[in-house]
Amino acid sequence: MPPRISPSRLTKPSTCECFRSRPQNPPAARNFHASARHEVTRLRRGMYDWLKGPGKVFRKPLRGSTNYLSAYNKTGDLVRVRKDNRDDRTKPSEGIEEDETAASERDLNDQSLTDDDRDIRAREREMARQTRKAEDVETEARGGVPRERSVDMRPYPLNQHFTSQPVLSEALREQLYVQVAVEERDLSSVAASFGVDIRRVAAAVRLKTIEKQWEDEGKPLAKPYSDAILSMLPTTPFQPETANPITPHEPINDLPVHPHTRQQLFYPASESRQFTREDAAKVFSAKLLPADQRIPLPMLVDLEKWKLEGLDRQQRQARQVQKDRDAREEAAAKETARVEWEERTQRVVKGRRWDFAFQDISAEKVGRDGWGREAVGYRYGMPHVDRKRGVIKIPTSVA
Amino acid sequence: MVLKLRLARISTPGGAKRHHPRYNIVLAHARTARDSLPLEVLGTYNPIPSTPAGVTEEDVRAGRARKVKEIKVDVSRAKYWLGVGAQPSDTVWRVLSMIGLLEPKYLPTGPQTEKALKAVRFPTHLPAAPASASTTANASAEVQGSRTTPA
Repeated sequence: MPPRISPSRLTKPSTCECFRSRPQNPPAARNFHASARHEVTRLRRGMYDWLKGPGKVFRKPLRGSTNYLSAYNKTGDLVRVRKDNRDDRTKPSEGIEEDETAASERDLNDQSLTDDDRDIRAREREMARQTRKAEDVETEARGGVPRERSVDMRPYPLNQHFTSQPVLSEALREQLYVQVAVEERDLSSVAASFGVDIRRVAAAVRLKTIEKQWEDEGKPLAKPYSDAILSMLPTTPFQPETANPITPHEPINDLPVHPHTRQQLFYPASESRQFTREDAAKVFSAKLLPADQRIPLPMLVDLEKWKLEGLDRQQRQARQVQKDRDAREEAAAKETARVEWEERTQRVVKGRRWDFAFQDISAEKVGRDGWGREAVGYRYGMPHVDRKRGVIKIPTSVA
Repeated sequence: MVLKLRLARISTPGGAKRHHPRYNIVLAHARTARDSLPLEVLGTYNPIPSTPAGVTEEDVRAGRARKVKEIKVDVSRAKYWLGVGAQPSDTVWRVLSMIGLLEPKYLPTGPQTEKALKAVRFPTHLPAAPASASTTANASAEVQGSRTTPA
């Protein structure tokens, strides 16, 4: 299909037959020659014209670029190339000094700088050069074609609302695996530092683990397929050794809309009372956690709060480290308590066909009336009548 | 009146149904009805072997895991009532002897059985005593035991 074809330009077929307009006399002889008729309709001719003309570019996709219809105009030219050539003059090529020796000599002559400053400046220059080099390599890989704009990311020209979203590149997936499985950083901090959703990190690590396992077992992987797909889709790169090694993949800290919060409520609260998000959560549902705790990466919220408090980078980092340590210690203490409880109360006795799992419980939780809620064992006596009509259940405590 | 430790089939909501037995381990007077209100509920007994959480039927069939019968019992209370002369029924005797509260009724006695019984004892079995003296006493007793048993 040629690009940007509007429905108004589509013509109706010239002959239109229906029950009334069909010729009444049947054909005298049956047409035994059954091969397809090579009728050259206007549409067919148009299609072949397009395939030989503007559509030719789609046969061999550009390297490092998507192959979407909307990136080309009617004559088969890349729209973004034309645009880029027009404002080529504004391309920033200044500001990066190519000659390291000259720059370092200038620094040495400058008396206002200390040795540390010179070191830092040299490192900055090195980083900038690396970044430039990586950008050049990337542009070279794309064959000198500029990067896609958002309007070029629409694979379906008639659906203007669908934009193709980038997927994780192979290098980024590998890096996520290394961070989580090899260096054993926790999922949430990896998600925060790489700008990838925490669930996506978990899925990438899991799939990468299976991939490695298959490689060990000598199972064949569908590499050509994945390479072909990845060459056609936009990807989020991971470029170590550059100034910007990490490209954020997606918004990671979106608050999921809980079904309980979809209802519209009118809740009268006194003006003198502080009504916080914790209170709002309680109003929606007694067990709903407040938004600050339901957010996927609450540590990012803390980070922003500390920034507003005016803490500098080092103090924030120290606080983060302290918080991480506390969380780890708490988890370890919980685990120890659980192990200790199991050690104290659980016993498994091997039987011939099944095991007997014993648990030591306290029989005294039944309470004075024998109706304790925490008690172990099936209950005796009259059933609860508190749901019977006319019987009012009076609470014995107020939370 | 004789006190008995026995099972009571309890059919309150959440309890036993047809083909779905559930028992309380209870302390009751010997001559009261089986399911009547007992003096004390000491625990529960589920006689249907169930697969633990995270285990599938395939695992059980393949021998990777085993089904379990879940028993909950207040060990210290059971020990107390046995100490003051409550009579366990055969089933309760069998269950409680598994965790070493009683001499097993039908198991052969001997070092192997004793060892197996010791392995599953709960800490409430051990007499509470001040730390250093009791541990040395226990150690010497065990040494004595290991010497005497082969003879």
